[in-house]
Amino acid sequence: MLLRIVNMVRKEMIQFSRDRLLALFIVLAPMLQLILLAQNTGRGIRDQPLVIVDLDHSRLSRQLTADLENTEELKVQFYSDDMAEMRRLLDTGQARLAVIIPAGFGRNVSNTSSSQQIQIVADGTSVIAASISMATAAGVVTNFAADLAESFGLVMPEFIDFRTNVRFNPTLNARDFTIPAQLGFIVYQVTLAVAALGLARERELGTLEQLMVTPLRRIELAAGKAIPAIAIGMVNFAAMLVISQVLFHVPMNGSMLLLAAMTLLFVVAVANWGVALSSFSRTQQQAILLVFIQVMVEIALSGYLVPVKNLPGVLQVLSRLSPLQHYLTIVRGVMLKGAGWEALWPQAAALAALGVATGVVALRSVIRRLD
Amino acid sequence: MNPRRLAAILRKEMLHIFRDSRNLFLVTVSPAFLLFLLAYIFSFEVSQLRLAVMDLDRSPLSRRYVAVLTNDQDFVLARTIDRYDAIEPLLAAGQIDVGLVIPPGFADTIYAGRAAQVQAIIDGSDAFAGRQAISSLGTKSARFVAGAGGVSLVAQPIEMRTQTFYNAGLKSLNSMVPGLLAVVLLMPTLALALALTREKESGTFEGLVATPVSGAEYLLGKLATYIFMGLVSACLAWLVAVFWFQVPFRGSLPVYLLLAADYFLACMGVVVVVASFVRSQQTALFIVLLVFVVPSFFLAGLIMPVETGSVGGWLTSFALPSTHFVEISRTVFLKGLGLGYLLRPALVLLGMGLGALAAALALFRKRAA
Repeated sequence: MLLRIVNMVRKEMIQFSRDRLLALFIVLAPMLQLILLAQNTGRGIRDQPLVIVDLDHSRLSRQLTADLENTEELKVQFYSDDMAEMRRLLDTGQARLAVIIPAGFGRNVSNTSSSQQIQIVADGTSVIAASISMATAAGVVTNFAADLAESFGLVMPEFIDFRTNVRFNPTLNARDFTIPAQLGFIVYQVTLAVAALGLARERELGTLEQLMVTPLRRIELAAGKAIPAIAIGMVNFAAMLVISQVLFHVPMNGSMLLLAAMTLLFVVAVANWGVALSSFSRTQQQAILLVFIQVMVEIALSGYLVPVKNLPGVLQVLSRLSPLQHYLTIVRGVMLKGAGWEALWPQAAALAALGVATGVVALRSVIRRLD
Repeated sequence: MNPRRLAAILRKEMLHIFRDSRNLFLVTVSPAFLLFLLAYIFSFEVSQLRLAVMDLDRSPLSRRYVAVLTNDQDFVLARTIDRYDAIEPLLAAGQIDVGLVIPPGFADTIYAGRAAQVQAIIDGSDAFAGRQAISSLGTKSARFVAGAGGVSLVAQPIEMRTQTFYNAGLKSLNSMVPGLLAVVLLMPTLALALALTREKESGTFEGLVATPVSGAEYLLGKLATYIFMGLVSACLAWLVAVFWFQVPFRGSLPVYLLLAADYFLACMGVVVVVASFVRSQQTALFIVLLVFVVPSFFLAGLIMPVETGSVGGWLTSFALPSTHFVEISRTVFLKGLGLGYLLRPALVLLGMGLGALAAALALFRKRAA
């Protein structure tokens, strides 16, 4: 039995290596993708174009402008004294935020009896960018007001001395957070896509009949299709890990061996599910369609773009069935938090259970669909 | 170029699409279906951070402080603990996001007019959530101090007014649905990539080459069919966005469809070029997945704005057709502006499409010769 599986795996590997472009895309493209995504994501909101409508032209208004410019999130790109101009800049998307300083601001603000109104207008089409840049500008204005109050002799009492202590990622480096997630996505999509097309391709090209007349048993056929996908997934994982350590210096606070072992659990679960999808599909096209929908939904459900805890009940249950979600917790846990077996065993158990369940589904559907 | 032969190709492609119900689904209904699914996931994004509180003071004031921190959607009180070393394992296991330590004598210190020290231990592994926690805790503490009993309100020299244009109340759904349209409308492009490679895989491509149909007729026929079907799918997805999710549509539908055709032309043009090198559907899947779909989630400005800080990042985003369509879609939906405001992204897409088409024709001639 073992020999037959080995032969089947060998046949698969020969097929992959024959299609050069495919081999290239399976190994090199994921690496390029990681580098591209890692370099260009995760820096958060920076340099959002800001238009200052300064109707005052005083020392104070210039000072406030300088304070706004001194943030990482905002970049003053336009000065204007015309509200219509501001509207046009927001319309065309050249500016994403506007801060309006009213006429007489500098003169009247020192007259503490009346408070002066600063207006902040955000382009709401991109919600996250809008809320963060708005909060930043509001913070700048608040601090500016506090300094001003102090200079008038009004003391702002500080009754809570707030100490923050950030664990696991003290500089709040977003890249350390995004790269492990991207690693998970890439291993996931490659493994699933390789596993899901295997049987469907044989069926479409008519070579499945030939396999059926060999002494190969169903379980051996399923294993022979899953193992190459698992191997390719693990190779990809190793490559991604090297890139993330060498190129991007993502910390590895936990045990690499533990991470590799848990990755194996993850890849097995994904590959099994891929084989199951493959046996459901009559054509490659159908398999591809299923893979596509699955990958999109899984990325959405993984907890990277939207925190799982904020999902509504049904989707939360659904996301527990997503191996990717458990795996992302593991990768981040091991790499950033240095978490060990005691913290991560629930995720590992979930992956193992998913692996067994998908294995059973895959095997049953291979048996049923082939006879 | 012979219009009769072009029509014949169009008819053949339509037959292919309509004969196979799965293909028909892929080309027409799948974008609407995916939009439906994805929008549900992306619409619930109020991030709530879980707080564990170790209150060593146990005074009415400290309880009020915790109440102020958790009185809106930002924080939820997940645990109360009484040992300092319980915080770390909870953070490591991801059961809480913030551990807050209120020292003994918290109330007495404040009433005495001195600053009380509060410590927050924050999970920084999610940098965005970490930043959000710090800024939100700071704001809320300041608000608490301002309202705390016996403390006079501080005079405010400046009053602030904030306002959002185009999307009042910053509704995430209104922003995500038009953006997600750019992602889901990649499905017709995938269908074209598969159709092109399948013809090679199953050997019917040779048959076509042997007919008098020219390369230009073949490519244009295919492209026209899939762009047309893509527009049908865009209409269906638009219906879902406007009637099911009730996203305001302030622009004009003809402009929207015209620009959607522009988007299809760019994506499909690139796919036609790529397909001339690719022999198997599996490779086509990898290319569409790795080149179009996954980067579109992260680099096209869908969630985070397009990175303008580095040249490489800007170039990557610029080269992705979906970046331009995210912009177009949000502008037409939410800003309600016409073609005049969208010339830049529209022309970029048109340039990509025509350039790719020219390259594809040149490649095609070389192969056929």
